[in-house]
Amino acid sequence: MNKNKLYWICQVLGWSIFGVVQLILFAVAGNVTSLFIFSQLIQVIFYILLTHMFRGIILHLGWLKSKWYSLLPRFLAGSLLLAIVHYLFIILSSWVTGDFDANQDFNLLSIVASLFVSMALFLIWSLLYMSFHYFDRYNKSLQFEAAAKEAELNALKAQLNPHFIFNALNSIRALVDENPTKSKNSITRLSNIFRNSLSTQKKELVPFEEELNLVRDYLELEGIRYEERLKTSYSIDSGSFNFKIPPLMIQTLVENGIKHGISTLKTGGQINITTKVEEKGLKIQIRNSGTYLKGTSGGVGYGLLNTTKRLDIIYGEKASFSIENLDEMVQTNIFIPDSLDL
Amino acid sequence: MKTIIIDDERLARKELNTLLEQHSEVEIIGEAVNADEAIEKISELRPDLVFLDIQMPGKSGFELLEELEYVPQIIFTTAYDEFALKAFEVNALDYLLKPVQEERLAESIEKAKATLQKQQNHQGAEEEGNGTLKVTDQVFVKDGDKCWFVRLEDVRLFESDGNYIKVYFNNFKPMIHKSLNALDERLDDRSFFRASRKHIINLSWVDTIETWFNGGLLVQLKGGEKVEVSRRQAARFKERMSL
Repeated sequence: MNKNKLYWICQVLGWSIFGVVQLILFAVAGNVTSLFIFSQLIQVIFYILLTHMFRGIILHLGWLKSKWYSLLPRFLAGSLLLAIVHYLFIILSSWVTGDFDANQDFNLLSIVASLFVSMALFLIWSLLYMSFHYFDRYNKSLQFEAAAKEAELNALKAQLNPHFIFNALNSIRALVDENPTKSKNSITRLSNIFRNSLSTQKKELVPFEEELNLVRDYLELEGIRYEERLKTSYSIDSGSFNFKIPPLMIQTLVENGIKHGISTLKTGGQINITTKVEEKGLKIQIRNSGTYLKGTSGGVGYGLLNTTKRLDIIYGEKASFSIENLDEMVQTNIFIPDSLDL
Repeated sequence: MKTIIIDDERLARKELNTLLEQHSEVEIIGEAVNADEAIEKISELRPDLVFLDIQMPGKSGFELLEELEYVPQIIFTTAYDEFALKAFEVNALDYLLKPVQEERLAESIEKAKATLQKQQNHQGAEEEGNGTLKVTDQVFVKDGDKCWFVRLEDVRLFESDGNYIKVYFNNFKPMIHKSLNALDERLDDRSFFRASRKHIINLSWVDTIETWFNGGLLVQLKGGEKVEVSRRQAARFKERMSL
Protein backbone atom coordinates (compact mmCIF):
# COMPACT_ATOMS: atom_id res chain seq x y z
CA MET A 1 0.00 0.00 0.00
CA ASN A 2 2.66 2.38 1.16
CA LYS A 3 4.93 1.30 -1.66
CA ASN A 4 2.23 1.99 -4.21
CA LYS A 5 1.81 5.48 -2.82
CA LEU A 6 5.54 6.07 -3.02
CA TYR A 7 5.52 4.86 -6.63
CA TRP A 8 2.83 7.37 -7.59
CA ILE A 9 4.55 10.21 -5.79
CA CYS A 10 7.82 9.45 -7.60
CA GLN A 11 6.02 9.01 -10.90
CA VAL A 12 4.06 12.26 -10.80
CA LEU A 13 6.81 14.31 -9.20
CA GLY A 14 9.52 12.96 -11.50
CA TRP A 15 7.68 13.65 -14.72
CA SER A 16 6.41 17.02 -13.50
CA ILE A 17 9.97 18.11 -12.77
CA PHE A 18 10.90 16.93 -16.23
CA GLY A 19 8.08 19.02 -17.70
CA VAL A 20 9.03 22.10 -15.69
CA VAL A 21 12.67 21.81 -16.73
CA GLN A 22 11.55 21.62 -20.38
CA LEU A 23 9.46 24.74 -19.87
CA ILE A 24 12.33 26.62 -18.30
CA LEU A 25 14.69 25.65 -21.11
CA PHE A 26 12.20 26.85 -23.69
CA ALA A 27 11.49 29.98 -21.67
CA VAL A 28 15.20 30.85 -21.78
CA ALA A 29 15.06 30.37 -25.53
CA GLY A 30 12.11 32.79 -25.37
CA ASN A 31 9.39 31.01 -27.25
CA VAL A 32 6.91 29.89 -24.64
CA THR A 33 3.28 30.14 -25.64
CA SER A 34 0.24 29.07 -23.66
CA LEU A 35 -0.29 26.39 -26.24
CA PHE A 36 3.22 25.11 -25.53
CA ILE A 37 2.55 24.98 -21.79
CA PHE A 38 -0.65 23.11 -22.46
CA SER A 39 1.05 20.61 -24.73
CA GLN A 40 3.78 20.10 -22.12
CA LEU A 41 1.10 19.33 -19.56
CA ILE A 42 -0.49 16.83 -21.90
CA GLN A 43 2.92 15.36 -22.56
CA VAL A 44 3.69 14.94 -18.84
CA ILE A 45 0.39 13.15 -18.35
CA PHE A 46 1.14 11.03 -21.37
CA TYR A 47 4.58 10.12 -19.99
CA ILE A 48 3.09 9.15 -16.67
CA LEU A 49 0.47 6.95 -18.27
CA LEU A 50 2.89 5.39 -20.73
CA THR A 51 5.47 4.47 -18.14
CA HIS A 52 2.74 3.28 -15.85
CA MET A 53 1.60 0.91 -18.59
CA PHE A 54 5.20 -0.17 -19.04
CA ARG A 55 5.38 -0.92 -15.33
CA GLY A 56 2.26 -3.04 -15.70
CA ILE A 57 3.99 -5.01 -18.45
CA ILE A 58 7.18 -5.40 -16.36
CA LEU A 59 5.21 -6.74 -13.42
CA HIS A 60 3.04 -8.93 -15.62
CA LEU A 61 5.97 -10.56 -17.38
CA GLY A 62 7.79 -11.00 -14.06
CA TRP A 63 10.90 -9.15 -15.22
CA LEU A 64 11.70 -8.22 -11.64
CA LYS A 65 12.74 -11.76 -10.90
CA SER A 66 15.25 -11.93 -13.75
CA LYS A 67 18.92 -11.14 -13.63
CA TRP A 68 20.00 -7.66 -14.73
CA TYR A 69 21.98 -8.81 -17.80
CA SER A 70 19.00 -10.64 -19.26
CA LEU A 71 16.92 -7.55 -18.60
CA LEU A 72 19.20 -5.16 -20.48
CA PRO A 73 18.08 -6.14 -24.04
CA ARG A 74 14.47 -6.30 -22.90
CA PHE A 75 14.61 -2.81 -21.52
CA LEU A 76 16.34 -1.54 -24.65
CA ALA A 77 13.62 -3.04 -26.79
CA GLY A 78 10.91 -1.85 -24.45
CA SER A 79 12.26 1.70 -24.42
CA LEU A 80 12.46 1.72 -28.22
CA LEU A 81 8.87 0.62 -28.42
CA LEU A 82 7.84 3.30 -25.95
CA ALA A 83 9.80 5.88 -27.91
CA ILE A 84 7.95 4.92 -31.11
CA VAL A 85 4.62 5.15 -29.38
CA HIS A 86 5.65 8.50 -27.99
CA TYR A 87 6.69 9.75 -31.42
CA LEU A 88 3.39 8.69 -32.93
CA PHE A 89 1.63 10.51 -30.15
CA ILE A 90 3.59 13.67 -30.85
CA ILE A 91 2.74 13.52 -34.53
CA LEU A 92 -0.87 12.89 -33.68
CA SER A 93 -1.01 15.76 -31.24
CA SER A 94 0.78 18.17 -33.57
CA TRP A 95 -1.69 17.16 -36.25
CA VAL A 96 -4.53 17.89 -33.88
CA THR A 97 -3.11 21.30 -32.95
CA GLY A 98 -2.45 22.05 -36.60
CA ASP A 99 1.29 22.20 -36.01
CA PHE A 100 1.90 19.27 -38.27
CA ASP A 101 4.64 19.73 -40.81
CA ALA A 102 5.17 16.63 -42.98
CA ASN A 103 8.55 17.78 -44.18
CA GLN A 104 9.93 18.27 -40.77
CA ASP A 105 8.20 15.50 -38.91
CA PHE A 106 8.92 12.78 -41.41
CA ASN A 107 12.52 13.76 -41.83
CA LEU A 108 14.63 10.70 -41.02
CA LEU A 109 17.16 12.62 -39.01
CA SER A 110 14.51 14.24 -36.86
CA ILE A 111 12.79 10.88 -36.38
CA VAL A 112 16.01 9.23 -35.24
CA ALA A 113 16.94 12.14 -33.00
CA SER A 114 13.53 12.26 -31.42
CA LEU A 115 13.43 8.50 -30.93
CA PHE A 116 16.89 8.54 -29.44
CA VAL A 117 16.05 11.26 -26.94
CA SER A 118 12.81 9.70 -25.73
CA MET A 119 14.40 6.25 -25.67
CA ALA A 120 17.09 7.62 -23.38
CA LEU A 121 14.37 9.13 -21.28
CA PHE A 122 12.58 5.81 -20.93
CA LEU A 123 15.83 4.01 -20.19
CA ILE A 124 16.52 6.44 -17.37
CA TRP A 125 13.02 5.79 -16.08
CA SER A 126 13.65 2.02 -16.25
CA LEU A 127 16.95 2.42 -14.47
CA LEU A 128 15.33 4.40 -11.67
CA TYR A 129 12.44 1.99 -11.43
CA MET A 130 14.67 -1.07 -11.30
CA SER A 131 17.13 0.41 -8.86
CA PHE A 132 14.29 1.31 -6.58
CA HIS A 133 13.10 -2.25 -6.86
CA TYR A 134 16.56 -3.70 -6.22
CA PHE A 135 17.08 -1.40 -3.31
CA ASP A 136 13.76 -2.48 -1.87
CA ARG A 137 14.61 -6.14 -2.34
CA TYR A 138 18.01 -5.65 -0.75
CA ASN A 139 16.38 -3.84 2.12
CA LYS A 140 13.93 -6.69 2.54
CA SER A 141 16.67 -9.28 2.56
CA LEU A 142 18.50 -7.23 5.16
CA GLN A 143 15.33 -7.12 7.17
CA PHE A 144 14.96 -10.84 6.83
CA GLU A 145 18.52 -11.39 7.89
CA ALA A 146 18.11 -9.18 10.92
CA ALA A 147 14.92 -10.91 11.97
CA ALA A 148 16.42 -14.34 11.34
CA LYS A 149 19.44 -13.34 13.35
CA GLU A 150 17.23 -12.17 16.15
CA ALA A 151 15.22 -15.37 16.08
CA GLU A 152 18.42 -17.32 16.03
CA LEU A 153 19.85 -15.51 18.98
CA ASN A 154 16.61 -15.78 20.82
CA ALA A 155 16.31 -19.44 19.99
CA LEU A 156 19.86 -19.97 21.02
CA LYS A 157 19.10 -18.21 24.25
CA ALA A 158 16.02 -20.33 24.73
CA GLN A 159 17.93 -23.40 23.70
CA LEU A 160 20.76 -22.72 26.05
CA ASN A 161 18.39 -21.43 28.69
CA PRO A 162 20.69 -21.60 31.68
CA HIS A 163 17.86 -22.50 33.97
CA PHE A 164 17.03 -25.52 31.90
CA ILE A 165 20.64 -26.63 31.54
CA PHE A 166 21.62 -26.36 35.18
CA ASN A 167 18.43 -27.90 36.45
CA ALA A 168 18.83 -30.76 33.98
CA LEU A 169 22.41 -31.30 35.08
CA ASN A 170 21.36 -31.23 38.70
CA SER A 171 18.69 -33.85 38.10
CA ILE A 172 21.12 -36.00 36.15
CA ARG A 173 23.59 -35.77 39.00
CA ALA A 174 21.01 -37.12 41.42
CA LEU A 175 20.05 -39.75 38.89
CA VAL A 176 23.58 -41.14 38.66
CA ASP A 177 23.11 -43.12 41.86
CA GLU A 178 19.46 -43.85 41.47
CA ASN A 179 19.30 -44.95 37.85
CA PRO A 180 22.65 -45.08 36.03
CA THR A 181 21.13 -46.14 32.70
CA LYS A 182 18.65 -43.30 32.72
CA SER A 183 21.31 -40.82 33.69
CA LYS A 184 23.53 -41.97 30.82
CA ASN A 185 20.60 -41.59 28.50
CA SER A 186 19.95 -38.10 29.74
CA ILE A 187 23.53 -37.06 29.14
CA THR A 188 23.18 -38.21 25.53
CA ARG A 189 19.97 -36.26 25.15
CA LEU A 190 21.54 -33.16 26.59
CA SER A 191 24.44 -33.46 24.15
CA ASN A 192 21.95 -33.88 21.30
CA ILE A 193 20.39 -30.62 22.29
CA PHE A 194 23.74 -28.87 22.51
CA ARG A 195 24.79 -30.23 19.12
CA ASN A 196 21.52 -29.20 17.60
CA SER A 197 21.81 -25.70 18.95
CA LEU A 198 25.20 -25.39 17.30
CA SER A 199 24.21 -26.75 13.90
CA THR A 200 20.72 -25.45 13.21
CA GLN A 201 21.50 -21.88 14.01
CA LYS A 202 22.13 -20.81 10.46
CA LYS A 203 19.37 -22.68 8.70
CA GLU A 204 16.15 -21.06 7.67
CA LEU A 205 14.27 -24.35 7.61
CA VAL A 206 14.94 -27.84 8.95
CA PRO A 207 13.21 -31.16 8.28
CA PHE A 208 10.24 -31.66 10.54
CA GLU A 209 11.77 -34.86 11.89
CA GLU A 210 14.85 -33.04 13.13
CA GLU A 211 12.76 -30.57 15.08
CA LEU A 212 10.55 -33.33 16.46
CA ASN A 213 13.57 -35.26 17.74
CA LEU A 214 14.86 -32.16 19.41
CA VAL A 215 11.51 -31.58 21.07
CA ARG A 216 11.41 -35.20 22.24
CA ASP A 217 14.89 -34.90 23.76
CA TYR A 218 13.94 -31.65 25.39
CA LEU A 219 10.72 -33.01 26.87
CA GLU A 220 12.43 -36.19 28.08
CA LEU A 221 14.92 -34.08 30.00
CA GLU A 222 12.24 -31.86 31.45
CA GLY A 223 10.40 -35.06 32.34
CA ILE A 224 13.29 -36.10 34.53
CA ARG A 225 12.98 -32.85 36.44
CA TYR A 226 9.23 -32.69 36.71
CA GLU A 227 8.65 -36.45 36.89
CA GLU A 228 4.95 -37.22 37.27
CA ARG A 229 4.14 -33.53 37.02
CA LEU A 230 4.86 -33.51 33.29
CA LYS A 231 2.92 -35.75 30.96
CA THR A 232 3.58 -35.60 27.27
CA SER A 233 1.77 -37.08 24.32
CA TYR A 234 2.38 -36.95 20.61
CA SER A 235 0.06 -37.52 17.72
CA ILE A 236 2.12 -37.09 14.61
CA ASP A 237 0.72 -37.44 11.11
CA SER A 238 3.25 -39.49 9.12
CA GLY A 239 2.94 -37.04 6.25
CA SER A 240 4.49 -34.38 8.48
CA PHE A 241 7.93 -35.73 7.70
CA ASN A 242 7.71 -34.32 4.18
CA PHE A 243 7.66 -30.82 5.58
CA LYS A 244 10.34 -28.41 6.55
CA ILE A 245 9.79 -25.94 9.36
CA PRO A 246 11.73 -23.11 10.96
CA PRO A 247 14.22 -24.59 13.44
CA LEU A 248 13.42 -24.46 17.15
CA MET A 249 9.94 -23.19 16.46
CA ILE A 250 8.11 -26.02 18.21
CA GLN A 251 10.78 -26.26 20.88
CA THR A 252 10.42 -22.59 21.80
CA LEU A 253 6.66 -22.94 22.10
CA VAL A 254 6.94 -26.13 24.15
CA GLU A 255 9.46 -24.49 26.44
CA ASN A 256 7.10 -21.54 26.84
CA GLY A 257 4.35 -23.97 27.75
CA ILE A 258 6.48 -25.50 30.47
CA LYS A 259 7.81 -22.23 31.79
CA HIS A 260 4.50 -20.39 31.96
CA GLY A 261 2.21 -23.40 32.30
CA ILE A 262 3.39 -26.65 33.84
CA SER A 263 6.06 -25.18 36.13
CA THR A 264 3.57 -22.84 37.77
CA LEU A 265 1.11 -25.61 38.61
CA LYS A 266 1.61 -27.50 41.85
CA THR A 267 0.31 -30.72 40.40
CA GLY A 268 1.87 -30.12 37.02
CA GLY A 269 0.10 -30.83 33.77
CA GLN A 270 0.42 -32.10 30.26
CA ILE A 271 1.76 -31.14 26.89
CA ASN A 272 0.26 -32.56 23.71
CA ILE A 273 1.79 -32.14 20.31
CA THR A 274 -0.42 -32.91 17.34
CA THR A 275 0.29 -32.55 13.65
CA LYS A 276 -2.03 -33.02 10.76
CA VAL A 277 -1.36 -32.75 7.05
CA GLU A 278 -4.05 -30.71 5.37
CA GLU A 279 -4.76 -29.91 1.77
CA LYS A 280 -2.53 -26.88 1.60
CA GLY A 281 0.00 -27.53 4.32
CA LEU A 282 0.81 -28.77 7.77
CA LYS A 283 -1.10 -27.96 10.91
CA ILE A 284 0.86 -28.13 14.15
CA GLN A 285 -0.95 -27.90 17.43
CA ILE A 286 0.63 -27.61 20.87
CA ARG A 287 -1.59 -27.85 23.91
CA ASN A 288 -0.35 -27.34 27.44
CA SER A 289 -1.96 -27.04 30.86
CA GLY A 290 -2.13 -23.53 32.21
CA THR A 291 -3.59 -20.20 31.23
CA TYR A 292 -2.33 -17.84 28.61
CA LEU A 293 -2.24 -14.35 30.03
CA LYS A 294 -2.08 -11.96 27.18
CA GLY A 295 0.78 -9.51 27.32
CA THR A 296 1.65 -9.96 30.99
CA SER A 297 5.30 -10.82 31.58
CA GLY A 298 7.37 -9.52 28.71
CA GLY A 299 8.83 -12.94 28.00
CA VAL A 300 5.63 -14.45 26.68
CA GLY A 301 4.97 -11.71 24.24
CA TYR A 302 8.50 -11.66 22.97
CA GLY A 303 8.76 -15.37 22.22
CA LEU A 304 5.43 -15.45 20.45
CA LEU A 305 6.09 -12.24 18.57
CA ASN A 306 9.31 -13.72 17.34
CA THR A 307 7.56 -16.85 16.10
CA THR A 308 4.91 -14.90 14.20
CA LYS A 309 7.57 -12.65 12.74
CA ARG A 310 9.61 -15.58 11.50
CA LEU A 311 6.57 -17.22 9.96
CA ASP A 312 5.61 -13.99 8.28
CA ILE A 313 9.04 -13.45 6.80
CA ILE A 314 9.37 -16.98 5.49
CA TYR A 315 5.85 -17.73 4.33
CA GLY A 316 4.06 -14.39 4.14
CA GLU A 317 0.33 -14.60 4.59
CA LYS A 318 0.17 -18.30 3.81
CA ALA A 319 1.28 -19.32 7.28
CA SER A 320 -0.76 -18.66 10.38
CA PHE A 321 -0.27 -18.62 14.11
CA SER A 322 -2.76 -18.41 16.95
CA ILE A 323 -2.81 -18.91 20.69
CA GLU A 324 -5.86 -19.21 22.91
CA ASN A 325 -7.20 -20.62 26.15
CA LEU A 326 -9.42 -23.66 25.68
CA ASP A 327 -10.75 -26.02 28.38
CA GLU A 328 -8.08 -25.05 30.94
CA MET A 329 -5.39 -25.60 28.36
CA VAL A 330 -3.39 -23.20 26.27
CA GLN A 331 -3.74 -24.10 22.64
CA THR A 332 -1.25 -22.92 20.07
CA ASN A 333 -1.92 -23.52 16.38
CA ILE A 334 0.53 -23.09 13.58
CA PHE A 335 -0.12 -23.59 9.91
CA ILE A 336 2.86 -24.16 7.61
CA PRO A 337 2.04 -23.98 3.88
CA ASP A 338 3.23 -26.55 1.38
CA SER A 339 6.66 -25.49 0.26
CA LEU A 340 5.63 -26.09 -3.38
CA ASP A 341 2.92 -23.55 -2.87
CA LEU A 342 5.28 -20.75 -2.01
CA MET B 1 21.07 -28.12 63.23
CA LYS B 2 17.49 -28.97 62.48
CA THR B 3 17.09 -28.54 58.76
CA ILE B 4 14.28 -28.49 56.22
CA ILE B 5 14.75 -28.85 52.46
CA ILE B 6 12.30 -27.04 50.20
CA ASP B 7 12.34 -27.81 46.49
CA ASP B 8 9.60 -28.83 44.09
CA GLU B 9 11.83 -31.37 42.34
CA ARG B 10 12.25 -34.75 43.96
CA LEU B 11 15.67 -35.35 42.42
CA ALA B 12 16.91 -31.96 43.55
CA ARG B 13 15.85 -32.77 47.14
CA LYS B 14 17.42 -36.17 46.87
CA GLU B 15 20.67 -34.72 45.62
CA LEU B 16 20.83 -32.28 48.51
CA ASN B 17 20.00 -35.07 50.95
CA THR B 18 22.87 -37.12 49.57
CA LEU B 19 25.26 -34.20 49.81
CA LEU B 20 24.20 -33.46 53.38
CA GLU B 21 24.93 -37.01 54.49
CA GLN B 22 28.55 -35.87 54.80
CA HIS B 23 27.57 -33.34 57.42
CA SER B 24 26.59 -35.09 60.60
CA GLU B 25 25.69 -31.83 62.34
CA VAL B 26 22.87 -31.29 59.87
CA GLU B 27 19.75 -33.14 60.83
CA ILE B 28 17.07 -33.17 58.16
CA ILE B 29 13.74 -33.01 59.92
CA GLY B 30 11.52 -32.41 56.95
CA GLU B 31 11.03 -31.65 53.29
CA ALA B 32 8.48 -29.59 51.43
CA VAL B 33 7.56 -29.47 47.76
CA ASN B 34 5.92 -26.07 47.64
CA ALA B 35 5.63 -22.81 49.53
CA ASP B 36 2.38 -23.56 51.31
CA GLU B 37 3.64 -26.87 52.61
CA ALA B 38 6.90 -25.17 53.59
CA ILE B 39 5.17 -22.45 55.61
CA GLU B 40 3.31 -25.12 57.55
CA LYS B 41 6.42 -27.18 58.21
CA ILE B 42 8.57 -24.23 59.23
CA SER B 43 6.09 -22.91 61.77
CA GLU B 44 5.45 -26.38 63.07
CA LEU B 45 8.99 -27.78 63.22
CA ARG B 46 10.84 -24.49 63.78
CA PRO B 47 14.03 -25.56 62.01
CA ASP B 48 17.35 -23.78 62.49
CA LEU B 49 18.20 -23.93 58.84
CA VAL B 50 16.25 -24.08 55.60
CA PHE B 51 17.49 -24.88 52.10
CA LEU B 52 15.10 -22.96 49.89
CA ASP B 53 14.58 -23.19 46.15
CA ILE B 54 13.63 -19.83 44.67
CA GLN B 55 11.52 -20.94 41.72
CA MET B 56 8.58 -23.07 42.72
CA PRO B 57 5.05 -23.49 41.43
CA GLY B 58 2.47 -21.29 43.13
CA LYS B 59 4.61 -19.10 45.35
CA SER B 60 8.27 -18.32 44.91
CA GLY B 61 10.82 -18.68 47.71
CA PHE B 62 10.65 -14.94 48.32
CA GLU B 63 6.90 -14.89 48.64
CA LEU B 64 7.20 -17.74 51.10
CA LEU B 65 9.63 -15.77 53.25
CA GLU B 66 7.35 -12.77 53.30
CA GLU B 67 4.63 -14.88 54.87
CA LEU B 68 6.79 -16.35 57.59
CA GLU B 69 6.56 -15.11 61.16
CA TYR B 70 9.61 -16.99 62.24
CA VAL B 71 12.47 -16.84 59.75
CA PRO B 72 15.21 -19.41 60.29
CA GLN B 73 18.63 -19.31 58.66
CA ILE B 74 18.08 -19.50 54.93
CA ILE B 75 20.35 -20.92 52.27
CA PHE B 76 18.88 -20.36 48.84
CA THR B 77 19.37 -22.99 46.21
CA THR B 78 18.90 -22.08 42.60
CA ALA B 79 19.95 -23.23 39.16
CA TYR B 80 20.41 -19.78 37.72
CA ASP B 81 18.84 -16.75 39.26
CA GLU B 82 21.22 -13.90 38.93
CA PHE B 83 18.29 -11.61 38.70
CA ALA B 84 16.55 -12.80 41.86
CA LEU B 85 19.74 -12.86 43.87
CA LYS B 86 20.60 -9.30 42.92
CA ALA B 87 17.87 -8.22 45.28
CA PHE B 88 20.23 -9.02 48.11
CA GLU B 89 23.26 -6.89 47.50
CA VAL B 90 23.20 -5.33 50.92
CA ASN B 91 23.14 -8.06 53.46
CA ALA B 92 24.97 -11.26 53.89
CA LEU B 93 22.90 -13.75 52.04
CA ASP B 94 23.88 -17.27 51.33
CA TYR B 95 22.99 -19.19 48.24
CA LEU B 96 24.09 -22.33 46.46
CA LEU B 97 24.01 -22.89 42.75
CA LYS B 98 22.69 -26.20 41.48
CA PRO B 99 24.39 -28.58 40.81
CA VAL B 100 25.84 -27.91 44.24
CA GLN B 101 29.57 -27.87 44.78
CA GLU B 102 30.53 -29.82 47.91
CA GLU B 103 33.05 -27.26 49.17
CA ARG B 104 30.56 -24.45 48.79
CA LEU B 105 27.98 -26.44 50.70
CA ALA B 106 30.47 -27.06 53.52
CA GLU B 107 31.21 -23.32 53.68
CA SER B 108 27.56 -22.43 53.84
CA ILE B 109 26.93 -24.90 56.61
CA GLU B 110 29.87 -23.54 58.58
CA LYS B 111 28.55 -20.05 58.20
CA ALA B 112 25.06 -21.04 59.28
CA LYS B 113 26.49 -22.88 62.26
CA ALA B 114 28.50 -19.87 63.35
CA THR B 115 25.50 -17.56 63.10
CA LEU B 116 23.38 -19.97 65.04
CA GLN B 117 26.07 -20.28 67.71
CA LYS B 118 26.26 -16.54 68.11
CA GLN B 119 22.53 -16.35 68.39
CA GLN B 120 22.42 -18.97 71.11
CA ASN B 121 25.26 -17.38 73.08
CA HIS B 122 23.56 -14.07 72.93
CA GLN B 123 20.39 -15.49 74.32
CA GLY B 124 22.41 -17.20 77.02
CA ALA B 125 20.23 -18.32 79.85
CA GLU B 126 17.12 -16.58 78.53
CA GLU B 127 14.24 -18.94 78.56
CA GLU B 128 12.72 -19.89 75.24
CA GLY B 129 9.96 -17.46 74.42
CA ASN B 130 6.55 -18.94 73.90
CA GLY B 131 6.01 -17.82 70.35
CA THR B 132 7.54 -14.40 70.97
CA LEU B 133 10.32 -13.25 68.69
CA LYS B 134 13.73 -12.88 70.29
CA VAL B 135 15.92 -9.90 69.49
CA THR B 136 18.32 -12.20 67.68
CA ASP B 137 15.56 -13.50 65.46
CA GLN B 138 15.45 -12.18 61.96
CA VAL B 139 12.62 -10.96 59.83
CA PHE B 140 12.48 -11.03 56.05
CA VAL B 141 11.71 -7.68 54.53
CA LYS B 142 10.95 -7.12 50.89
CA ASP B 143 10.28 -3.71 49.47
CA GLY B 144 9.85 -3.52 45.72
CA ASP B 145 12.72 -5.51 44.30
CA LYS B 146 14.97 -5.16 47.33
CA CYS B 147 15.21 -7.76 50.08
CA TRP B 148 16.73 -7.89 53.54
CA PHE B 149 17.06 -10.27 56.43
CA VAL B 150 16.95 -8.00 59.45
CA ARG B 151 17.76 -8.95 63.02
CA LEU B 152 15.22 -7.46 65.38
CA GLU B 153 18.02 -5.98 67.49
CA ASP B 154 18.95 -3.83 64.48
CA VAL B 155 15.48 -2.43 64.10
CA ARG B 156 15.12 0.97 65.79
CA LEU B 157 11.52 1.66 65.05
CA PHE B 158 8.34 0.20 63.59
CA GLU B 159 5.96 2.83 62.32
CA SER B 160 2.51 2.00 61.07
CA ASP B 161 1.43 3.57 57.82
CA GLY B 162 -1.99 2.48 56.65
CA ASN B 163 -1.92 -1.27 56.16
CA TYR B 164 1.85 -1.28 56.17
CA ILE B 165 4.62 -1.01 58.69
CA LYS B 166 7.75 0.99 58.01
CA VAL B 167 10.77 -0.83 59.41
CA TYR B 168 13.66 1.48 60.35
CA PHE B 169 17.11 -0.11 60.34
CA ASN B 170 20.55 1.01 59.16
CA ASN B 171 19.82 3.54 56.44
CA PHE B 172 16.68 1.85 55.25
CA LYS B 173 13.01 2.05 56.03
CA PRO B 174 11.24 -0.44 53.79
CA MET B 175 7.56 -1.27 54.21
CA ILE B 176 6.08 -4.63 55.10
CA HIS B 177 2.49 -5.62 54.79
CA LYS B 178 1.56 -6.41 58.40
CA SER B 179 -0.45 -4.85 61.19
CA LEU B 180 1.32 -3.11 64.04
CA ASN B 181 -0.97 -4.67 66.65
CA ALA B 182 -0.20 -8.21 65.49
CA LEU B 183 3.48 -7.44 65.46
CA ASP B 184 3.33 -5.89 68.94
CA GLU B 185 1.98 -9.13 70.33
CA ARG B 186 4.83 -11.14 68.89
CA LEU B 187 7.64 -8.82 69.94
CA ASP B 188 9.50 -9.28 73.21
CA ASP B 189 8.34 -6.44 75.44
CA ARG B 190 11.60 -6.37 77.31
CA SER B 191 13.21 -4.93 74.19
CA PHE B 192 10.37 -3.25 72.36
CA PHE B 193 7.97 -0.64 73.62
CA ARG B 194 4.67 0.47 72.17
CA ALA B 195 5.19 4.21 72.32
CA SER B 196 1.89 5.16 70.72
CA ARG B 197 -0.82 3.95 68.43
CA LYS B 198 1.54 4.38 65.52
CA HIS B 199 4.96 3.48 66.91
CA ILE B 200 6.92 0.62 68.43
CA ILE B 201 10.45 1.53 69.48
CA ASN B 202 13.48 -0.57 70.28
CA LEU B 203 14.52 0.45 73.81
CA SER B 204 18.19 -0.23 73.24
CA TRP B 205 18.22 2.40 70.49
CA VAL B 206 16.84 5.22 72.69
CA ASP B 207 19.19 8.18 72.76
CA THR B 208 17.53 11.09 74.57
CA ILE B 209 14.20 11.67 76.30
CA GLU B 210 12.52 15.05 76.73
CA THR B 211 9.24 15.99 78.34
CA TRP B 212 6.63 16.97 75.85
CA PHE B 213 3.20 18.56 75.85
CA ASN B 214 0.32 17.14 77.84
CA GLY B 215 2.57 15.00 79.94
CA GLY B 216 3.89 13.06 76.99
CA LEU B 217 7.50 12.42 76.14
CA LEU B 218 9.64 12.96 73.07
CA VAL B 219 12.14 10.20 72.51
CA GLN B 220 15.00 10.60 70.13
CA LEU B 221 16.50 7.40 68.76
CA LYS B 222 20.17 6.89 67.94
CA GLY B 223 19.23 6.94 64.28
CA GLY B 224 17.85 10.48 64.67
CA GLU B 225 14.15 9.61 64.53
CA LYS B 226 11.94 11.46 66.98
CA VAL B 227 8.99 9.62 68.41
CA GLU B 228 6.29 10.95 70.66
CA VAL B 229 5.30 8.76 73.60
CA SER B 230 1.67 9.31 74.45
CA ARG B 231 0.70 10.47 77.91
CA ARG B 232 -0.96 7.17 78.61
CA GLN B 233 2.27 5.27 77.86
CA ALA B 234 4.68 7.82 79.38
CA ALA B 235 4.44 6.49 82.91
CA ARG B 236 5.05 2.95 81.77
CA PHE B 237 7.92 4.11 79.63
CA LYS B 238 9.64 5.90 82.52
CA GLU B 239 9.23 2.84 84.63
CA ARG B 240 10.79 0.66 81.93
CA MET B 241 13.71 2.97 81.31
CA SER B 242 14.60 3.36 84.97
CA LEU B 243 14.98 -0.36 85.38
